[in-house]
Parts: sequence; structure tokens; C-alpha cells
Amino acid sequence: MDESNQLYFWIKSEGEKKLATENLVPGNQVYKEKLIIKRGTEYRLWDAFRSKLAASIMNGLNDFPFENKTKVLYLGASTGTTVSHISDIVGPSGIIFAVEHASRVARDFLDRVATHRKNIMPILQDARRPKEYFSVFGKVDVVYVDIAQPDQTQIAINNCEMFLKKGGYFFLVIKTRSIDVTKAPKKIIYEEIEKLKEKFDILQSIDLHPYDKDHAMVVAIYRD
Amino acid sequence: MYSVILTELGISVFNEEKLERAFAFSNNVKEYLLVKSKEAKLNELINYLFSVQRGFAVSDESLLAILKKNNVDCQIMDDSKLEIVQASKPQIIVDSGFASNPQDALGKLREFALGLSSSKITEVSESPDLHIIQAINSLDEIDKIANALSSRLREWYGLHFPELDNIIDSINGYAQIVIAGKRESLTKQTFEDAGFPESKVEMLSLISSKSRGGDISDVNLSIVQSIAKQILDFHDLRKKLEEHVESEMQTIAPNLSAILGTAVGARILGRAGSLKRMASLPASTIQVLGAEKALFRSLKTGSQPPKHGLLFQHAMVHAAPRWQRGKIARAVAAKAVIAARVDVYGEGLNETLLEKLNVRVEEIGKKYENPTEKDIRSPQSFRRDKGNFRDNFRGQRREGGDRRREGGDRRREGDRRREGGDRRREGGDRRREGGDRRREGDRGREGGDRGREGGRGREGGDRGREGGRGREGDRGREGGRGREGGDRKREEGHNYERSDSNKKRKRFGRK
Repeated sequence: MDESNQLYFWIKSEGEKKLATENLVPGNQVYKEKLIIKRGTEYRLWDAFRSKLAASIMNGLNDFPFENKTKVLYLGASTGTTVSHISDIVGPSGIIFAVEHASRVARDFLDRVATHRKNIMPILQDARRPKEYFSVFGKVDVVYVDIAQPDQTQIAINNCEMFLKKGGYFFLVIKTRSIDVTKAPKKIIYEEIEKLKEKFDILQSIDLHPYDKDHAMVVAIYRD
Repeated sequence: MYSVILTELGISVFNEEKLERAFAFSNNVKEYLLVKSKEAKLNELINYLFSVQRGFAVSDESLLAILKKNNVDCQIMDDSKLEIVQASKPQIIVDSGFASNPQDALGKLREFALGLSSSKITEVSESPDLHIIQAINSLDEIDKIANALSSRLREWYGLHFPELDNIIDSINGYAQIVIAGKRESLTKQTFEDAGFPESKVEMLSLISSKSRGGDISDVNLSIVQSIAKQILDFHDLRKKLEEHVESEMQTIAPNLSAILGTAVGARILGRAGSLKRMASLPASTIQVLGAEKALFRSLKTGSQPPKHGLLFQHAMVHAAPRWQRGKIARAVAAKAVIAARVDVYGEGLNETLLEKLNVRVEEIGKKYENPTEKDIRSPQSFRRDKGNFRDNFRGQRREGGDRRREGGDRRREGDRRREGGDRRREGGDRRREGGDRRREGDRGREGGDRGREGGRGREGGDRGREGGRGREGDRGREGGRGREGGDRKREEGHNYERSDSNKKRKRFGRK
């Protein structure tokens, strides 16, 4: 086990080094991931094929701003796979405002994740209308956006303007196939990054292959 | 200036930094939602505001609208102040006495968020259109299951009474006969009870006495009978579901049902997700719902776009000649979306919709009575070359082309697989010997049998390839003949190509 950083861990399982986070709610499984106990602490394996944040770590993410006590706004929580791991990382004094609009997946999200983890505020709202969010307060340190919409970048920018502090980190998952199936993925990623440049400094853009096809993760900093 | 601040836990009135009055919600979620939907009464708050007699800055637009409606002199808070309120929300909650400390405030906010989210989910789950979608999906799945089970029943009971299969088309009647028991115990009465006409009853009792089928043991028969019973149960369930969908559709979407019919309407509703969502879709999307594969192929490669998806099941589209179908599907889709909108936002049944659709379809029928030359051409012979794929895909397309050519080469290699078809044919013959002419499923089983014969394990699915591999191995042993052998192989392959590719197409078609 590698403990070079305290945010996420590399744990040997089945002869391979695998990504894991320390389980905030011991004994609680979110998506049937493996739980491993090492030296009295329970870890949850973090599947890169199911979480795009894990996939970007595997593919060489440079900056990892999720720390203890970090405040996060997470758009597109879905069933809460990635949210649960971020919740592990930010710990009991961090907060995640998890926005999800579709009620079918939100149902699973509430059952499996939000009710068990005290640092998550589930917000069942359309990310297109950030003014309608409830239970949100203050500015957040990180905005993480994983919504498959043609206008996802604009939605993300609007949310950042309202809730991201200056100098805060911004993670944007670009699913090129939801933006335009007819265009080349590379071209779409380039175009979306261009849209961001006005207000953000781009740190990195990561292709998520082989974990997700035609997806990219863009990491940026909200300019002062 | 006083400020009126809406929080998740109550409404507070502040004079600058000092709390004047706080009105806690007794039921957070419900009252918060009432305020947001501008339906809250808020008498206490309003009376208090009147007693203060000043201008107020309000933190929320819905709350502002309620107050304005009650003639309270107020305006929306300016942005800088709103931002402060937003940032210090936990502190405001504590100051208002809604919570004892910031930690407590956080806990209460989270509780509120959970409560509100849950209530939204409950609300959505109650909407009747979701139940219709589940019902129509169950119906389609039951059809699938019952069909598979029916062919199994015919197959199994066919060992005992093979002639019955060809005489009786309706699976219901077949199942009833199976339930009656063995061939010997079938009487005229059983056939009559199963609802067959006089002529058929005669024929059946004649044939049952001199059937070619073998005997069936009681254990086997009782299982076969259980299957037959299941099929009849499915039949009843299907009927019930059909009626249910019909009546539900008439109540929640009368206009949509009028245009599309209840079954097709429900299926399209299922594709769209919900009635509300369907009402917000463009007609062109409705037109191709269910043909996504063809649609995206068209967008990517510029081939012909699909004319209809699920709408093909619509009687008007289905019954029309081929060259009119696209036009009719477009007209139907346009009216269907309007119908969905009337169902969501309007009231009652709007009869002009269907009338206008009928007029339009008639018009199409007259105007395009005869196919144009373009309509007669086979669909593959012309491609739409103006798709916007070109500017982006030029490079990649070439690659694709190369790949395709490679694919062609590979296909020649693939002749081996086609030889597998040869084996399959053998298998087919054997099947016919067995007097067992039925489709698909058996192919799998046969394959399994053959596999065992050959000691190659039980994979029916890969049989074609397996067979091929076996063949190749043989050739290898013959060996050393080099080119000659190769040519022979190609010839052979060619012979069987047609039958095999036909089969393949058939199989895909069924899927």
C-alpha cells in the first residue's frame, strides 16, 4: 500500500495496484465495490471504469484539489459513484453539494449514498437553474461537472460564476458524443476548451481512454 | 432598510444586522415549496410587515411576488447583498433561532435537502404516465417471453404429436390441447372446447389416431403441461395489460391516443420518457423515435435518414404504400406532438387534430398516388452525399475506406467460416430427419449436440466458426497441397456463400 498522499491510496488487490479511498462510513458499500481492510482501516476500491475522476487519476491527473474540508459543487451526481469517493476524501468537515435532475437515478443516489454520508447535500434540481438550488451557501473550492448535455459547458460556466470562488478548481467532463455525434471528438474538446479560456486558466486536458470512449476531463482554475 | 430573508428553515426579518422577527416553518419542506410556488399565505409575516410600515428588501423572487400581491411595499435585494446573504446562510439561520449553532444549522440544511429531494422523487414516481410506460414495456416483454415459450412448447409436445404443429396456428388452442393430455386421450370434445370449427375437429381426431409421434412419459407430459398453462396465463395477463394501457391512455392522454392509438402512443411515450418530456420534443424526433441506430448512422455517414421509427406500427403509416410512408409519418408525428402538448397543458379531447390529420393523409395519398422514379430505385443505389460529415471526417473517412478494403480481404479469409455453413446444412438435414422443422432455438441445441459429438464442448453460438476451424484442421492434415488446396477452398466457400449469408440476414432481421 502506498501512502504517499493521504487523499487516495494504491492498494494491492488480486496482484494489481488499485485505486482506493478510505471509507467514511465503514461497512457501507455504494456500488458493490470491494472493501479492503488494511491495518484496521477500511478502504473502498475506486473503479476507474465507473468513475471518470478515477479514470483521470489513472491517466495522469496532475492537480488533485479534493482535500480534507474541501467544499465541492458536483453537477450530475447520477447514482453517486464518484460523489461517494469524493465524500470519502473531503471527510466529515467537507461538504459536497450534489446536484442531479433525473429522479430515477436520484432515487438510487439518495438510498445508497446521500442518506449515509453526512457531508453530502443532495439537491434535486436542474443544473440549468442554479438560482433554484436549495441548501447551498457560500462559495465552493471545487466545481465538478459531469452532465451529458449539448450545452454542458455553458451550464457549467454559469454555475461557476455563481458558486466557485476565485482561484477555485474546475473539473469538466466532456462527453463528446452528447455534444455532437457528427463532429470529431478532438475538435469538440478543442472547441469546448476555447469556450472556457475567457474565464479559466486551463491546467490539463485528459483523454479518458480506455476507461471511457470519446470522453475527456478538463481541469481549470477560475481566474481572479 | 429592513430585509426579509427566505431560508430553508423559515423567513426572517432583519434590520441591518439585527434580527427583528423570525417566522420558522413548522414543516420546512412543504412550506418552502409553497413559497417557491407562490402559493403560501404567510398571514403572520404580512401582518407584521404592515405593522412595521417600511420598505423591504426581499431575498427571494417568489417571496417578493407573494408580498407584492399583498400590497407590501418591497423590492428585490441588490446583488451584492444577496451574495452576502447566500454566503452567511448558516449564520443567518443561527441568528434567527432556527438552529442552535452553525453545525446544527448545517445538519438541518442537510435534513431539509434530503426531505425536499425525497418529496420530489415521490412526486415524480406518482405520475400516471410512468405507470403506463411500465405497463406497455411489460406487455412487450410478455410477448417476447410467451413467443419463446410457445415455440418451445410446440417443439416439445411435437415429439409426441408432430402433426398438431402445422394444423393449429393459434398458440392458445395449441396450449389447450396440450393441457388435455396425451394424444390418445384427446377427444372431439376437447377440440370443441378449445374452440375449433367442425371441419378442423374432424381432421384433428382423424390425425391424432395415426400420428407419427413417439410416446411421452407422464413426468415429461406434466412439465409440458405446466409450460402450456404458463402460456395461457401469460395470455390472460397480456389481455389485462392491454386493457389497462388502453383505459389509462384514454384518461391521461386522450388526444395522443386519438392520433396514435393507445398502444403505439404508449410505446412512443415510453421512448420519450414521460408525457411532459414528449410534449417538449420536436415532431421530427418523434418521427424517428425507435430508429436511433439508423438516424445516427445517417448523421455520421450521410446515408439515408430513417423515415419512421416506432411510428411504423401506426396503422396509417403501415398501410400506406412505401413511397408515401415517410410523408405520412411526418404528418402523424407533427400532430402527435401537438396532441401530447394538449394533453399536458390543455384540457379534454380536441377533435380537430384527428380531422386535420385525416385530411392531410388523404391529400398525400392523392398527390403521391404513383411513385416517382426515385421512389422505385432501390434504396442502396443512391446515397445522400451532402451530410455535414464531410468537412470533419475527410481524413477519417479515408481511413474507414481502407479499413473496409482490409475487411474485404479478411472476408476472403473468412471463407473458412462459410465452410462452417456446410456443416450447418448437414445439421439442418439431420434436423429435418428428426421431423423437427423449427427455427433458431433448436439450431442452438443442435449445435450443442453436434459439439458434443465432436467432443468440442457445448457452444452452439460459435458453431459456425467452430465448424470452420475443424475443417481447416482437416485441410491442414491433408496438407502440403498449398495453392491448389487454397483455390479449392475458395470455390467451396463460394458455393455455400449464398445460403449462409441468407441465413445470417434472416437472423439479424429477427433481432
